[in-house]
Amino acid sequence: MASINGGHLVGKYLKEIEKIDIVFGISGGHLESILDGFTEYKIRTIDVRHEQAAAMMAHAWSVYTGKPGVCFLTAGPGFTNGLTGIANAYLDNAPLVVLCGRAPIRDDLKGALQEMNQIEVVRPITKWAATCHDIRRIPEYLSIAFRNATGGRPGPVMLELPPDILNITVDESLVPMPSRSNPKYSVHPDDADLKAAAEIINNARKPLFIGGSGVGFSRCSGQLEQFIEKSGIPFMLMNYGRGELPDNHPLSVMDMGNLGLFFSIGQNDVIIAAGLRFNWLLQFGKIIPPTVKIIRIDIDPQEINRNVEAHVGLVGDTGSVLDQLTPLVKKNDHSAWMNTLKSAGRSLLDYELRMRETASDPIHPIRLVAQIQKFVGDDAVYIADGGDTQYFGLAGFMSRQKAGVVASAAGLLGCLGTGIPFGMAAKLARPDKKVVVLNGDGSFGFNGMEFDTMVRHGIPVVCVINNDCAWGMIKHSQELSIGKDRLQCSELGLIHYEKMVEGLGGYGEFVTKDEEIVPALERAFASGKPACINVMTDPTVTSPATPLFYQSLKM
Amino acid sequence: MRFSILLFFLYKILRWASKHKPAYSNYIGSIHEVRIMIKTADGKHGRLFIFDKGAVSSRSGARQGYDAAIIWSDAGTGFRVMASRKDEEQFKAAAAGRMKLDGMAFFAQWFNDGVKLVM
Ligand SMILES: Cc1ncc(C[n+]2csc(CCOP(=O)(O)OP(=O)(O)O)c2C)c(N)n1
Ligand SMILES: [Mg+2]
Repeated sequence: MASINGGHLVGKYLKEIEKIDIVFGISGGHLESILDGFTEYKIRTIDVRHEQAAAMMAHAWSVYTGKPGVCFLTAGPGFTNGLTGIANAYLDNAPLVVLCGRAPIRDDLKGALQEMNQIEVVRPITKWAATCHDIRRIPEYLSIAFRNATGGRPGPVMLELPPDILNITVDESLVPMPSRSNPKYSVHPDDADLKAAAEIINNARKPLFIGGSGVGFSRCSGQLEQFIEKSGIPFMLMNYGRGELPDNHPLSVMDMGNLGLFFSIGQNDVIIAAGLRFNWLLQFGKIIPPTVKIIRIDIDPQEINRNVEAHVGLVGDTGSVLDQLTPLVKKNDHSAWMNTLKSAGRSLLDYELRMRETASDPIHPIRLVAQIQKFVGDDAVYIADGGDTQYFGLAGFMSRQKAGVVASAAGLLGCLGTGIPFGMAAKLARPDKKVVVLNGDGSFGFNGMEFDTMVRHGIPVVCVINNDCAWGMIKHSQELSIGKDRLQCSELGLIHYEKMVEGLGGYGEFVTKDEEIVPALERAFASGKPACINVMTDPTVTSPATPLFYQSLKM
Repeated sequence: MRFSILLFFLYKILRWASKHKPAYSNYIGSIHEVRIMIKTADGKHGRLFIFDKGAVSSRSGARQGYDAAIIWSDAGTGFRVMASRKDEEQFKAAAAGRMKLDGMAFFAQWFNDGVKLVM
């Protein structure tokens, strides 16, 4: 009669049923038998330096691999430190599975170490949260957790595992593993709605397809390609949808940027928005005039008419909706309209396009981005994290990779500090690709200590700091709102982050001049180490995202 | 000439609106010093609009510093498109390379959206 403890059951389920081979977290006494379960079942652990990084890495793992990401948090402070990452995954609809320690149930209400009501705290930022009370039900609870994380619109879940069930053993034969993993299914829209959508699309003269994270989570590049190439509709992919078709696809109008999109969106006669929320970034849909016909595709029926009423709503996973829609759509050519959009975009972005080509002193952030892009190329993964920094990264980087350009701090939580964890997860998921994190100097501070994690685990990400010696977006917003002479908590000063990275065992460079950028990148990649290139950029430059943000708070 | 006159009247209207049209004065709000230039590419015609803590002021000429600029290929196009007050005409001018933005492009859009509230 073989016996198994609760922690090993966790490892066994993860490996054998969900095929999980990597998890992210920090150790803790409450988790000990789970940690040993990881050893037993040969699951790789990436132990970080702050639990928020673990949650963010697991979230990012799901973005870069399409599989749920798993993190482990110890009871109490491990849990509370992870909350920001969980909230971020919740607002980003990422399938994050959180395994969380807990004070013993036996000692509830007695004042046990790290005793707190974690479930009530986490419930509003998870799709599902529960405590398992019975060692024999561990596989069942884990199965429910994964089902909730990945089913329908994905999102984070948390399973609390107390020592009462982890640190005891049970006869293994009494705890059978589910024989099948959770079934795959997809939701389909109504036939009449599909026909109505096709009719609008077939009659469109100036259409635009905009895809969001739903396109990315659907992993629908094949279906999207067929739809786009048959319908001839120009497209733009945003958030985690970016790169599902490459930025340089002939029908992509990615190069007109968010600015071009904002300016021209009202000129389209039909907008097809797939897996994209009309949230504050799209001014709750107000930037689309009522004359424009809107077709919305979303896995969540609640999104279809949210903020703006759609002419047709197609509920379902983007890939399967496109599978059904494409046969109803006529072969068409909208290349003239696409060229119009692109050339309007060039006029609107004229300044940025010139700055990319011009060496300047001090360095303009978009020039920094352009130089990185020129050196690293488009077969790489880029992440931008920061305020203004995030705008410049999104505008300037181009990639052929899926989710190849992600502004990790531009999600709904606007969560600074996500860049480094995303970069680490990207490098682990795609070790043969170059991974660049463009970090604001302020944002770098949140997870800069993770350079230690990168060094210990051999994760050679290159992090370029766009260093304006300030919380730039906030500083420039304060300049607009309260005036230059009353700036508060918005300046940081010159800090040698690259030295900190060297101290942690990574590679560091300090750059102040345009001509130093590319050689520094060369040396950083050649070092084979996790690297930080600290680049001093023009502190007076503001991105268009700042006044947008400023305006959104004006009452 | 017509272009410069149009810019001058635009300034007068915006200044009036900043004092008498609550929707507009609320829109420009208490923003600190934003300077919008509207000019021709050759720099022969232009006017600077300054928004500072709810007040609108202006100076003629294309040589002053600005945060954002709307640059017309020529005065005729600038006049025609601005007088039409149509987004579509602006967009077409941009697509034809006859209207370009410089500097903080967002503010050019902000400026245009404000004008729409007044006209
Ligand atoms: C965790 C977190 N704290 C604070 C903020 C508020 N915030 C938004 S942008 C910003 C400034 C970011 O500065 P930096 O990373 O240096 O980027 P920059 O704007 O200078 O390019 C701050 C503090 C936030 N979004 N997230
Ligand atoms: Mg900064």
